Amino acid sequence: MGGFSVGLVRFTRSMLASAALVAVVATLAMAYTSGGGASRQSLIAEMLSNFILVLGMQVFIGNTGVLSFGHVAFAQIAAYATAVVGIPLAAKAKALPDIPFGLESIHYGPLGATLFAVLVTVIIGGIFGIAVSRASGLAPTMITLAALFVVEQLVKNWKELTRGAGGLSGIPRLEGNGWLWVGAFVALLIAHFFQETRIGRFAIATREDELAAPALGIRLFSSRWAAWTLSMGLIALGGSLRAQSLGSVNPKQFTLDSGILILVMLVVGGMRSISGAVLGTVLITAGNELFRQLGDPQRLDVERFPDLFLGGTMLLVMLLRPGGLLGDRDLASWIRRRTYRRPPQSGETPQQGVSTLVATEIEVRFGGFVALDGAGLTVRPGEVVGLIGPNGAGKTTLFNVITGIVHEQGGRVTLGEQDLSESKPVEIARAGLARTFQNLRLFKNLSVRENVALMALVAARHRPHRVRPDADTLLDDAGLTQWADRPAGTLDYGNQRRLELARAAALAPDFLLLDEPTSGMSDQESLAMVESVRSVAARVGAGVLVIDHDLGFITRISDHIVVLNEGRILAEGTPAEVRSNPLVAAAYLGSSA
Amino acid sequence: MLEVDAITTRYGAITALHEASLEVRAGEMVALVGPNGAGKTTLLNTVAGLLRPAAGSVRFDGNDITGREPARLVRAGLALVPEHRRIFKDLTVEENLRLGGCTASAADRRIRLDEAAELFPVLGSKWTTSAGFLSGGEAQQLAVARALMSNPRLLLLDEPTLGLAPTMVDVVFDLLQRLREQGRTLLVVEQNATRALALADRAYLLRTGRIIATGTGAELAADTSLFDSFIGGES
Amino acid sequence: MTKLIQTIVDGLGVGSTYALLALGISLIFGVMHLVNFAHGELITVGAYTSYFFFLHGGSWWWMPLVIIGSAVLASVATELIAFRWVRNSSPFTLLLTSFALERLSHAVWQIAVSPKQRAFPKPAWVFNQFKIASVSFEVMDVVTIAVTALTLALTAVIFKRTLFGISVRGAAEDFDAARLMGVRANRVISGAFAFAGFLAGVAATLILMRSPAAEPSMGSDWLLKAVIAAVIGGLGSFSGAVVGGLVLGLLETLTRAYLPEVAVGWDKFSTAIVFVLIAVFFVVRPDGIFKVSHAERV
Repeated sequence: MGGFSVGLVRFTRSMLASAALVAVVATLAMAYTSGGGASRQSLIAEMLSNFILVLGMQVFIGNTGVLSFGHVAFAQIAAYATAVVGIPLAAKAKALPDIPFGLESIHYGPLGATLFAVLVTVIIGGIFGIAVSRASGLAPTMITLAALFVVEQLVKNWKELTRGAGGLSGIPRLEGNGWLWVGAFVALLIAHFFQETRIGRFAIATREDELAAPALGIRLFSSRWAAWTLSMGLIALGGSLRAQSLGSVNPKQFTLDSGILILVMLVVGGMRSISGAVLGTVLITAGNELFRQLGDPQRLDVERFPDLFLGGTMLLVMLLRPGGLLGDRDLASWIRRRTYRRPPQSGETPQQGVSTLVATEIEVRFGGFVALDGAGLTVRPGEVVGLIGPNGAGKTTLFNVITGIVHEQGGRVTLGEQDLSESKPVEIARAGLARTFQNLRLFKNLSVRENVALMALVAARHRPHRVRPDADTLLDDAGLTQWADRPAGTLDYGNQRRLELARAAALAPDFLLLDEPTSGMSDQESLAMVESVRSVAARVGAGVLVIDHDLGFITRISDHIVVLNEGRILAEGTPAEVRSNPLVAAAYLGSSA
Repeated sequence: MLEVDAITTRYGAITALHEASLEVRAGEMVALVGPNGAGKTTLLNTVAGLLRPAAGSVRFDGNDITGREPARLVRAGLALVPEHRRIFKDLTVEENLRLGGCTASAADRRIRLDEAAELFPVLGSKWTTSAGFLSGGEAQQLAVARALMSNPRLLLLDEPTLGLAPTMVDVVFDLLQRLREQGRTLLVVEQNATRALALADRAYLLRTGRIIATGTGAELAADTSLFDSFIGGES
Repeated sequence: MTKLIQTIVDGLGVGSTYALLALGISLIFGVMHLVNFAHGELITVGAYTSYFFFLHGGSWWWMPLVIIGSAVLASVATELIAFRWVRNSSPFTLLLTSFALERLSHAVWQIAVSPKQRAFPKPAWVFNQFKIASVSFEVMDVVTIAVTALTLALTAVIFKRTLFGISVRGAAEDFDAARLMGVRANRVISGAFAFAGFLAGVAATLILMRSPAAEPSMGSDWLLKAVIAAVIGGLGSFSGAVVGGLVLGLLETLTRAYLPEVAVGWDKFSTAIVFVLIAVFFVVRPDGIFKVSHAERV
């Protein structure tokens, strides 16, 4: 079956990338430990559990772009969960005589304790993640900070469960670092694979552009929550393994300090890149240890020089290379590029949609200002309608009403039988209206192909009834094949516009809604754009509604033109009719006093 | 007074202005018209120092001011009334004006505040009102009054009639006429090409980043193919 | 009833300190869109400066000036050496830069002085008490509230009346428009940092009068609470920061005082409860109590 073999290919790629990274690190580790004794082994153990923690954060922060400081709070939950079921019953009874939830008789071996810890953390973290994923702006970061405080307080004060400030010891320790290597490999595998899954790729899209992704059918909440919950699993694994590696847990273990340490490891290498996360962990662990040696062991148990190193490194990275040492470069994406095979074409001919897009009697008021006063228009299947008018006429507002970004105080928007008046942008995109943006909102760091392929993914689930050309076909149409692997942000302007067009088309929409597609283009480029729009629209059988100020472009491409002025329809008709209408000229040039 | 010499300005990947040149002589009113997206705002912003051109130069009174900080230009006698006015809504009318005069001495500022109240009586009646509560027309007057607080010799105005009701448009054009009579030099970007050309001494037509026509206001206004120039090209 | 009054006074006292710190954070956010996690380090600077001066014969008569002065200088310095260079970067980068400075500050104090706490004398009158109608007050509480009120009044005057204050407010609303008026970008931002330093210095003085000790990471706890207070009130809003700080202080003291009476055993979780409430708040009102308008162009 096609789906299974695709999945197998993706899994194999993740395995390859993970194995390669582990091999490199293992080689370094072997070189390091061959020279020394037990203390070196425990540094490796520390580094390995750091890996898992860093990857846990990477899965969320790297893929959603939302900063979280509180991840380590959940590592702490996992660590304590491991302790309360891992400590032998007799010792547990002595340390925690009043332990609740019937835990006094529960004891698991290492594997069981780890699984238990991961499960508990994923459930608690998952619920917490609902709040994080719903919020926007700075709020998620604040919420995760709140988590840190809550967990810290709970651990210190819920003495029946945690023994308070003293912590718990007696967890059966792992022999050697074998299980830690396994854990690191598993974490790498999961982190890599997530980036290949549908929902992982959606999360990355929301990271790239929080406004464009939902406008093209990707829900913010579900992809963020998925990334969060998965990251909970990994961070729990890290916390649990660390507890078993050290044999004890205490409240000072996973505080804001360690949270920042892990964050620095993630950021130094480049948070968007898993290879970067690995690099960062190795470098910071090494540097941290170096500076620790420089300190005076006689003085109190605080890390002085390591703090200097950490703060200094983070500052330097932010000032000089804020994207991290590797930026977006990743072994996994390199492998992906090398192994890309174009999927077989379906060869079906596109047919036109059957639904008509109708906006009727739209009224929009912003405070006292009337932006739209009963404007409306109709776009028939396969038709190209141009929407023009002087500045401030209300064209963009009408557009935003149709695409669900602005809510109208009066009137309706329908697509065929469906009433879209109250719908959100995500739903409108899925219903068959795909848009481009005046300010060009590409997923800049993602490859040209991925920009288009993402929409094809959305279309596969939400527009199954339509013929869906694959990404490469659309790229061919738009003349972008030679740049398919390059980051979208590196294309020149005209090509970026064409890419946005191809991306919208990949949604297999009934209508393409284009917002000033020739803005900033020369006359020649505008001419070329006419062809691009026509061929892309024909490829998917979509009608087009286009706003533009380039009247030459509009007259060439439109079957029908609607002229808006001061929130109302001034005139409409064929391009020739509109061109020769004196009212239209007056609206543009202004009337005399 | 102002010489813009073949400036090319880019926004990331877009080239918004291609070797655009224009000239404003002392005491003139020059209009800059053209369709939307032509680059008119880009041109004014480049002159005012908010944008740095990739090529070309801007000279004010013979001095090269290309890419200089706007703050310095204000002190040199050049002020911009930006598109959409950009008044400080959280500040009162008076505070907006005082900020506009921040480069002047306290004494001069006081004198100019009184002048502003005289020239714009509607502002005078709303001295302590938060600027966010002003109507479109009042806001436009505030924006111009604010720019006048630095006593500029050259005043740049970016689409001063944008979003205003027809009666307010009249008020704005009256204001421009009065400023001319005061002897100030004006460079005005205007949507309403017909009226701007009627008032201006000279004008330039900008389209897709290039100056495609220039002449006296009367010459350009008489050009019957003006709308075609707006549209550009033949079908 | 007595207890309620005392709890409220306590809450206002703590809340005042939060308010002053939150105001500094909101101020910097307004001009730079940066949540400055290094702001708390200014308290640490004040503390170590006091410690140093007390070692060489200091007095609380003029120590407040020293504390405030050192906080102002330190604040301006952080802008010059770090924040100026990342001014136009992403919020992520700005945030992490401020974190890096916080870490560095901790490290510097640990190395240069000691990781252990260093104490110095407190003013004699701090814990003196007096009674008004059977309710006993500490002198320090009254001083805190009075000083804060004065400082806030001074802040209001400066930001409403002086050209500097108006420039900062204008720049916070529309930075480029302010530049077009002739406002010099660097001066406004340095000025904002200096004033934030002043506010932090006043807060530090009040804190240190009550617990005169210097410790490398003392700033962080205060900072976290201040950030949360600023965010509750709406980042960039002055009145919001003040209200946020007072609300946070009252919430803390009230839950600490009354929850044990409501449910035995829950007092341990008072801080945790505060933070849970805050988290809930953010989900319900992500822009804070006082919304500061932002326009997003599509």
